[in-house]
Amino acid sequence: MSGVPNQEDEKKPNNEQLAHINLKVKDQNGNEVFFRIKRSTQLKKLMNAYCDRQSVDPNTIVFLFDGRRLKPDQTPDELEMDEADEIDAMLHQTGGFSI
Amino acid sequence: MSGGGIARGRLAEERKAWRKNHPHGFVAKPETAADGSVNLMIWQCTIPGKAGTDWEGGCYPLTLHFSEDYPSKPPKCRFPQGFFHPNVYPSGTVCLSILNEDSGWRPAITVKQILVGIQDLLDQPNPADPAQTDGYHLFIQEPVEYRKRVKQQAKQYPSIV
Repeated sequence: MSGVPNQEDEKKPNNEQLAHINLKVKDQNGNEVFFRIKRSTQLKKLMNAYCDRQSVDPNTIVFLFDGRRLKPDQTPDELEMDEADEIDAMLHQTGGFSI
Repeated sequence: MSGGGIARGRLAEERKAWRKNHPHGFVAKPETAADGSVNLMIWQCTIPGKAGTDWEGGCYPLTLHFSEDYPSKPPKCRFPQGFFHPNVYPSGTVCLSILNEDSGWRPAITVKQILVGIQDLLDQPNPADPAQTDGYHLFIQEPVEYRKRVKQQAKQYPSIV
């Protein structure tokens, strides 16, 4: 708290960088889409942006991170995501069990 | 334990590279204990069956056991016990040239190459070097029944999507 205002200003971009994370979403064809979001932002923002950009119905896509299905309300912080981590966009398959 | 240091260092690098870039739909992560500690020497992996083959739709669990001698020696790669495939031992251990230190293993082979190699093996068994009788006999003598068993097994390991 004793910092000179000028020093605080210089630190800002650094904190800004730490607060954000670059993530990559890859589909089954190897196409990659890059996102930069806040670590504290819910991943539904990324998921929606991806579906918008790819013009796909969100109900047909499942996002996997380390084999776990992403939930819209989870955040990169919560999932301990690292800079440049890759997320798999999987086409949702329905087997013969739908009733 | 300088050897162990080399193994762990390499495995940490492998994991780092995997997080940034891995074959689509595959999973490979070091085991995490209940207390949250990570064991780099054992990896829990998932191999998706290749699209357009009888293995499609299945996500096959595979465990990689690395020794302190890695990467001089290859990891032991195991499917669940009783896994149906001509080149998988009844214990689940995969028999593949690139995983044999006296044959095709080279220290430069990555985890990614191992998993993609095993995915290829699923649909391209090598009948010249069988590791289990069940899978081998059906593959050679009863192709229709063989395919049925493969498809059955795919359903047994459904994809989480």
